[in-house]
Amino acid sequence: MKTTQTVLLFASLLLLAVGLVGCSDSTSSEEEWQLVWQDEFTGPAGQSPDAGKWDYDIGTDWGNAQLEYDTDRPENVSLDGNGHLAIVAREESYQQRNYTSARINTRDLFEPTYGRFEARMRMPSGQGLWPAFWLLGANIDSVGWPQCGEIDIMEYRGQEPLFVHGSLHGPGYSGQQAVTQRFSLVNDRFDTGFHTFAIEWRPNEIKWFVDGTLYHTATPADVSGEWVYDHPFYIILNLAVGGNYVGPPDAGTSFPQTLLIDWVRVYRAVP
Amino acid sequence: MSARLLSGALAVVIAVILIGSTGCERDVDTLGPAEFPTDPEIFLDGFGPGVQYQAFAGSKVTALSIDADTKRAGERSLRFTIPNFGDPAGSYAGGALVSSGRNLAGYNAMTFWAKASVAATLDLVGIGNDNTGTSRFVATRSGLQVNTIWTKYVVPIPASSKLTEEGGLFFFAEGPENNNGYELWFDEVQFERLGTIAQPRPSFTSQTVSLQVGDSVTVSGANVVFDVAGSDVTVDAMPGYFTFSSSDNAVATVGADGVIRAAGLGTAFITATLDTIAAPDTITVTVEDAPPGPTVAAPTPTVPPGDVISLFSNAYSNVTVDTWSADWDDADLADIQIAGNDTKLYSNLSFAGVEFTSSLIDASAMTHFHMDVWTPDPTGAPAVFKIKLVDFGADGAFGGGDDVEHELTLDNTTTPAMATGTWVGLDIPLSDFVGLTTQGHLAQLIISGDPNTVYVDNVYLYAASTPSEPAVAAPTPTEPAGNVISLYSDAYTDVTVDTWSAPWDNADLTDTTVAGDDTKLYTNLVFAGIEFTSAPVDATSMTHFHMDIWTPDPTAAPAVFRIKLVDFGADGAFGGGDDVEHELTFDAASTPPLVTGNWISFDIPLTDFINLTTTGHLAQMILTADPGPNTVYVDNIYFYGPGGTPTEPATAAPTPTYPAGDVISLYSNVYTDVTVDTWSAPWDNADLTDTTVAGYDTKLYTNVVFAGIEFASQTIDATAMTHFRMDIWTPDSTATPAVFRIKLVDFGADGAFGGGDDAEHELTFDATSTPPLVTGNWISFDIPLTDFTNLTTTGHLAQLIFVADPGPNTIYVDNVLLHR
Repeated sequence: MKTTQTVLLFASLLLLAVGLVGCSDSTSSEEEWQLVWQDEFTGPAGQSPDAGKWDYDIGTDWGNAQLEYDTDRPENVSLDGNGHLAIVAREESYQQRNYTSARINTRDLFEPTYGRFEARMRMPSGQGLWPAFWLLGANIDSVGWPQCGEIDIMEYRGQEPLFVHGSLHGPGYSGQQAVTQRFSLVNDRFDTGFHTFAIEWRPNEIKWFVDGTLYHTATPADVSGEWVYDHPFYIILNLAVGGNYVGPPDAGTSFPQTLLIDWVRVYRAVP
Repeated sequence: MSARLLSGALAVVIAVILIGSTGCERDVDTLGPAEFPTDPEIFLDGFGPGVQYQAFAGSKVTALSIDADTKRAGERSLRFTIPNFGDPAGSYAGGALVSSGRNLAGYNAMTFWAKASVAATLDLVGIGNDNTGTSRFVATRSGLQVNTIWTKYVVPIPASSKLTEEGGLFFFAEGPENNNGYELWFDEVQFERLGTIAQPRPSFTSQTVSLQVGDSVTVSGANVVFDVAGSDVTVDAMPGYFTFSSSDNAVATVGADGVIRAAGLGTAFITATLDTIAAPDTITVTVEDAPPGPTVAAPTPTVPPGDVISLFSNAYSNVTVDTWSADWDDADLADIQIAGNDTKLYSNLSFAGVEFTSSLIDASAMTHFHMDVWTPDPTGAPAVFKIKLVDFGADGAFGGGDDVEHELTLDNTTTPAMATGTWVGLDIPLSDFVGLTTQGHLAQLIISGDPNTVYVDNVYLYAASTPSEPAVAAPTPTEPAGNVISLYSDAYTDVTVDTWSAPWDNADLTDTTVAGDDTKLYTNLVFAGIEFTSAPVDATSMTHFHMDIWTPDPTAAPAVFRIKLVDFGADGAFGGGDDVEHELTFDAASTPPLVTGNWISFDIPLTDFINLTTTGHLAQMILTADPGPNTVYVDNIYFYGPGGTPTEPATAAPTPTYPAGDVISLYSNVYTDVTVDTWSAPWDNADLTDTTVAGYDTKLYTNVVFAGIEFASQTIDATAMTHFRMDIWTPDSTATPAVFRIKLVDFGADGAFGGGDDAEHELTFDATSTPPLVTGNWISFDIPLTDFTNLTTTGHLAQLIFVADPGPNTIYVDNVLLHR
């Protein structure tokens, strides 16, 4: 999610979205999807996420001028006891930062290549909140970013409750030059209920879905640089506070704010 | 189009009644609980089911038309012609679209499209105003920007669960834009359930209120901020949308209408939720007993009515007061009675304006301002209470450059002093209002300060009748006697003054007493001459002159009072070229100032008498009052010095005034002395020196144990005499056990020592005898010979022995004589 916004014409996007409403089963294609990895986040409230599936990124900034300090504390990331994982952004003084939150990943635990990646989530509210569900190339330590590749399944700005974005960052098309697409809800918003965010990632093709609606497709022809999406990636879930993508919270932003995740499921294509 | 508040209680003016379609007849036989329609339409292409328009009172009732040309969708829109400023038909356009009631619980917003002929700011638009004056669920957006293209607007409903039978579907109010009217269209006015509305944030005004049982206060400032598709929208909401609760219903209850009522003593916290969302605000209600007030009326004034101009008192006829709480002031006023006495009660007092501008008060003949006040509040620092008087000056009108005023600040340490919980009679000389330089056109009285609650009574001006004589004696001097040479004082032994009103002066003198204190009273005073030429005062060791005076007469300018001291110079006699004198002048502005009706104490450094270059033979004092007070009481005239007991007398012993024919003098400067054999017999135990004090011969005994004075060679026949007189002065301690004994010895009929007929008697004096022994002052013993009880014969007095053991070692002696 190293990215900045790309402005898209709202009208065309709206038409696209409207046009696809009802095609919720448009996972299309000839193959079957076989569930290979999942976390349904069942367990008692306050329990940390399954250590066999998730690791923590602890720290701050992350190259995006994010304001929060991400921790592994249950007050920032834990089960809510109702089948959800809650990543909670708090306003508190911690490690020279004024906010805390969490960022979890599957590095070294689950690093697939290709597949269908889904998460059902409810967004937080308010200016300056930046939740994301995304994939990062597992070879980042050897080749660096953006050569490793980044697939943003979902990014959301708290001040734009009707919109999410799906993006690709790769060599020659990262940051503000990312390949991105925006999806808008009609008469609904992402912070009042759960929505399912997904990609279908195949060789030379990545498709983005919200609630089963396809709104973006990227192929090597769509990127201005190298297509770097044929190696293992790991999953990241986080809730940033502030940063280049959203700007800081304002007086109207209330805390704590929660990114609530019902489940994460990963499928493998079966011919 | 300044924002205008629509009171919900507007009279109904039905301008246009356009009933939409539905008449909705119900079958009363099958009617269960009332079910109100849930139709969303308010105005689409026409009025929705059961909808009618009612113009607000005062609005331009003809503002509405149905426009088939300009519309957002469909066939028609609602068009309002906003009036120009000054339009006689109405100053604004406004009204409500109402129905007999709908169930709106399934919606969360009223939406509409609007455009205008010019960009404008729409004052108010909202829902819940059914134009009955009893609306409970008005929700309003203010200041919506409308412009010349159709735009959709959303009014989120604070809590639609409350709106199960709401008749107020839509309302608006809008006035001219920069004084100009314009055209305003609404279309597609309807209820919707929008998924884009979230995060309702209810709030109301947090406050702390103090109430008394039975009082009520209404929740204010209730509103809800919604996030509508990412933007905050504020909807002002009637309290009816909220669900209020009290932490203690025994203290305060809160109704669905947001009215909080004080039920009992204590503190309760009022909080609220909007549906399930708690507002972060709290109203803290403290219910208190009524603050204590006076139980007795203010003291009834005793100033004679003829001397009073009363603003407020049951004791007097009051002049016209326009208001006791001007509209510009910040105080609440109640007219109450305390024990049957009319009283003004100021509460929540910040400052209160009392105005009598319509009939100004001429207080130029008045001397004092009076007001009785009672407050339950603190009156000590830092709390202050202020009284301001304002005079409109000679022009008798506000402004004009001659208005004057003065404000006095009082607390519990000032004069007069404030106090808590008791009536305080503030009696203030108008002269204390220093800046109130004119008093002929008093127009305002302003009271202010920290006490929150102040009872006021007996507000009047009066002319204090000046007493003709002092009620109290002049202040008793406190200078140690040893530091003083007193001309006149009951506190000291006075030196001889020849006259207190010389024949050449122009004044009448009476010796009087004030509260038992001897006082000189000069009347018809032009100038008074006081002379002590026979025994001039040596004030060389003195530093100050003191005198107290009191006059009932006016002391304002040009009245003056002058004090002149005259010294006869080294020759001690009038003339001779060395006489010096100096006169000081006092008036109302001097230090000290002349005042009427109060003792004035002059404490004047002798150095102020600049030309009085010698002070060794002071002989005259001249008091002049021309122009000035005719009647002057005088007391405590003395010189005083820097302190420390003098080692020798500064003045001579008081000069005896007995006629020479009545005296047999052994030693004095005044009379011819008889022969004395010795002033210190060989057998005595004392040293003797002949010295002078202030030029007068004086015997100085030192190392005194006892001294023998013998006149045996020519005994004295004192049978015709009645008293023995002797003056002594000592610098030594005279406190107990010090004694001074005087023994007289008579040799009896044989005129010789021994012989069996000698008689003698010794008297003992100490600090408590009559007269008492004192240090540093002449002591005059003037003893009836009969006191010498055993001195049974006085025809051949031969010895005088004085003993001081224990007693003063050093003794000056003068004026030893017998007299009758």
